[in-house]
Amino acid sequence: MATTMQRLQLTHPLHFVIGLTLWCIWFVTVYGGHAVACAVVPPAPEQGVFTLVNALLLVVSLVAIAILAALTLGCYRMAKHHQGRRRFNARVSAGLYLFSTLGVVFAAMPILGIPPCL
Amino acid sequence: MTTINREATPEGDNIKGPHQLHSDLHEIWGNPRGLKALTIVNHTTLGLRFMVTGMVFFLLGGILAMLVRTQLALPDQDFMSPDIYNQVTTMHGTVMMFLFAIPMLEGLAIYMIPKMIGARDLVCPRLTSLGYWCYLFGGIILSFSLVLEMAPDSGWFMYTPLSSSEYSPGLGSDFWLLGITFVEISALSAGVELVVSILRTRTQGMALHKMPLFAWYILAMALMIVVGFPPLILGSILLELERAVGMPFFEVAGGGDPILWQHLFWLFGHPEVYIIFLPAAGIVSTLIPVFAGRPIVGYGWVVAAIIITSFISFGLWVHHMFTVGIPQLAQAFFSAASMLVAVPTAIQVFVWLATLWLGKPKMKLPMLWVMGFLIIFVCGGLTGVMLALVPFNWQVHDTHFVVAHMHYVLVGGMFFPLIAGLYYWLPLFSGRMPSESLGKWGFWLTFLGFNGTFLIMHWTGLLGMPRRVYSYETGMGWDIFNLLSSMSSFIMSAGIVMVLLDIALHFRFGKPAKHNPWNAYSLEWANSMPPSAYNFVSLPTIETRHPLWDDPDLPRTMAAGQHSLAIATHGRREMWGTDPLTGKVREIIHLPGNSWWPLFAAMALAVVCISLLTRLYPLALIGVIVAALFLLRWSWENGAHPKAAPDAEVAPGDPPLHSRTMDGPGLWAMSITLLANGSFFLSYLFGWFYLWTVSPEWRMPETSPLSLVGLTLAGVALTAGAAILEKLVRGLRQRKDAGLAVGMYCISALGVVQVAITLWVLLSANLAVTETSHDAIILVGLMYALLHGGLGAVLALLQGLRVGYGYVGAHAPFEPAVVAQWWRYNVVTFWILVGALAVLPRVIGS
Repeated sequence: MATTMQRLQLTHPLHFVIGLTLWCIWFVTVYGGHAVACAVVPPAPEQGVFTLVNALLLVVSLVAIAILAALTLGCYRMAKHHQGRRRFNARVSAGLYLFSTLGVVFAAMPILGIPPCL
Repeated sequence: MTTINREATPEGDNIKGPHQLHSDLHEIWGNPRGLKALTIVNHTTLGLRFMVTGMVFFLLGGILAMLVRTQLALPDQDFMSPDIYNQVTTMHGTVMMFLFAIPMLEGLAIYMIPKMIGARDLVCPRLTSLGYWCYLFGGIILSFSLVLEMAPDSGWFMYTPLSSSEYSPGLGSDFWLLGITFVEISALSAGVELVVSILRTRTQGMALHKMPLFAWYILAMALMIVVGFPPLILGSILLELERAVGMPFFEVAGGGDPILWQHLFWLFGHPEVYIIFLPAAGIVSTLIPVFAGRPIVGYGWVVAAIIITSFISFGLWVHHMFTVGIPQLAQAFFSAASMLVAVPTAIQVFVWLATLWLGKPKMKLPMLWVMGFLIIFVCGGLTGVMLALVPFNWQVHDTHFVVAHMHYVLVGGMFFPLIAGLYYWLPLFSGRMPSESLGKWGFWLTFLGFNGTFLIMHWTGLLGMPRRVYSYETGMGWDIFNLLSSMSSFIMSAGIVMVLLDIALHFRFGKPAKHNPWNAYSLEWANSMPPSAYNFVSLPTIETRHPLWDDPDLPRTMAAGQHSLAIATHGRREMWGTDPLTGKVREIIHLPGNSWWPLFAAMALAVVCISLLTRLYPLALIGVIVAALFLLRWSWENGAHPKAAPDAEVAPGDPPLHSRTMDGPGLWAMSITLLANGSFFLSYLFGWFYLWTVSPEWRMPETSPLSLVGLTLAGVALTAGAAILEKLVRGLRQRKDAGLAVGMYCISALGVVQVAITLWVLLSANLAVTETSHDAIILVGLMYALLHGGLGAVLALLQGLRVGYGYVGAHAPFEPAVVAQWWRYNVVTFWILVGALAVLPRVIGS
């Protein structure tokens, strides 16, 4: 894990955009995936939220949350080891990854309570 | 290129003193007069032109708004006919959004950014010029539709099928689609060069985390334009093809879907709101520290908030479509995302408040407008969160509540900061101060008039008054509110007239401004007032966020030529090319001088636009060819060309010219252009898969009409060409140019082969493009591939010729690397097209 984080060069400003790009990819995946699932295999309305569609969307969301949370932690730790420009980059990246993580948590919450395709 | 007949040594420059240096720089950078003023490419002049033109369109849009309010002031009015009313409301929104808000803010950015980051111009000056002319011509064409009483009348968002030929048979929709697309060339041009300029031309030492916040905001705005505008360009092309030729992209009977238009429009339209807001917020973040007399609280927080806003704003578009029948779960995703975007906005508001709280704010005229912004925008933001809630959204959908919210966000979020910024930077434009008393009258009338108009409009909306209605009956409970709104709107207009009067009069009667009159911290105030064409005599090393606070003597030493690049004897327009992260100098960027080509190209494009409007397609084709020739001729005058930089000599110790390296700004400009292109391509793929998945009458044939063998052969030719080009570029990196010209000709030939085979595949497919959207969208995809392949072949051919002329080679290796990016992009998109259009239908079937 630590080696992977080192390889990611978490003080590079590219991380300003990676977290939110992942958020966007997650968002398009759940929105598009939901639309395609409803077109191809719409679940019966009486199933409520206990459908394969909800389950898959939830799994995708949990994976996104795990990745983003790990990157948040990585950037936060990296910021402590640097000064100046690199510290600034890592801290801002940590904040952006944290926002992206919470953004997935918040926007994914309806998956737990709303049945699909209705 | 201007040649100055003096000794070409830096020592020579310094011995002759700053006045001689100023004179020499003026000779190189100065603007011509008379007819040749049309050739000017300088950012200061063009930024001003953008802003003045934007203000003219603002007046037009304002007059249209007054007409609307006059019509709605009383029930059962017949001040205007319903047809004219529809044209007036549509054009009010269109003019304000496309011809005022964006060009005005881009104009301000074009004017300010080089001065703030310590550069002498934007990195692609001819692109600035092209952008301006496209904006001007597109705006004139669109506005002329009002004179002809043929203006678009389907609302500023042009929803299909209302805007389709069945319900809008006149030319109105065509004016909108073609005019706006023309204007969008301008927006994209500015977007591309602002990104590259901010990333690659900051002065020495200005690392990313030392960059002025305004530059961060403009960087985000420009990138959002680059990504956000192409979906609308695609939508406009598709709708114009449907109207002109009958390709049924948005017609259900032909396998299309009108909701696709809404997706494409709002994929652009919602980020557009933030494209307008971010630069305005940038003005606020610049002004508040100056008038609070202390650095901004939480620079990093603001940077994070800017980045979050620019991303999340792309995930909200469906909240404009909550009533079209989207599943509840999907609505909930967009509802949540719409609430999320309030977080970065709130971060900025709290940062501004904290800065004011901890500083000693001086309530000068610009700050009045900032305070007005804070009040109005926060209210608009709160109603935005209300609209993010699906049930409330359904309740007030298409009512005046939405109109009121939109104006709170756009006028509060853009117009108030803009006026604050104009007042703040006015001394820089003119060297004079505005009138405080006239300015305060202007502010209070505008502020009170605005709230009188739009606060009341919330209630009108909550009482159920729909938007875009031409008239209403008395007794609905709306009479008094509409009358108050209309009266207030005239008070607001009086305020705006006062502001404009103040600005106009100050050029003649304003008190001369002392240097840096607001005690600002940023580098633009190191300019002379009004600024020179080259901004700075010498370019300083900047390692602080507040250069003028930390070194108040900096403007003097810069003007005295005591910093870098204080050389003019070479006759080139030069500035630093720096590392985007650290601000370390990498190369000297030499810029092109004044040129007729941007004007000529824009004129040819205007001919294309008018020909398409009048259905003179052969003339339109000629216009396209002529425009392409002008643009290619423009590209010819680069690198080692005699009009660019035939002599690569630089002062001892200075880095090389960018055209003599493999890392010039053109490479970055091409990358950003391809980002816009990629956004267009992804929008196209979205359209293809959307119709395939959702359209109720989608008809996929049993077997794909496209020859997979033919497409594969075309792809192989394209890939082979790209591979050869990569090899040649690798050689140039090692300064080896053996066989470069022949290689380029071979690549061009392979491009021609790809185009020929793709054309054969297209012709042999016998597509029924007016009968099914399936065939029509395939045609668009193949045309995309053909155009890209054709341009790739032409660019390679030109490179071969340039090698022969000695403009490209081991001594000037830069350009093939730029062309290689284009080819790389072509390879990727071509194979994706093959997969999406020819392979997937075979695998999945209909």
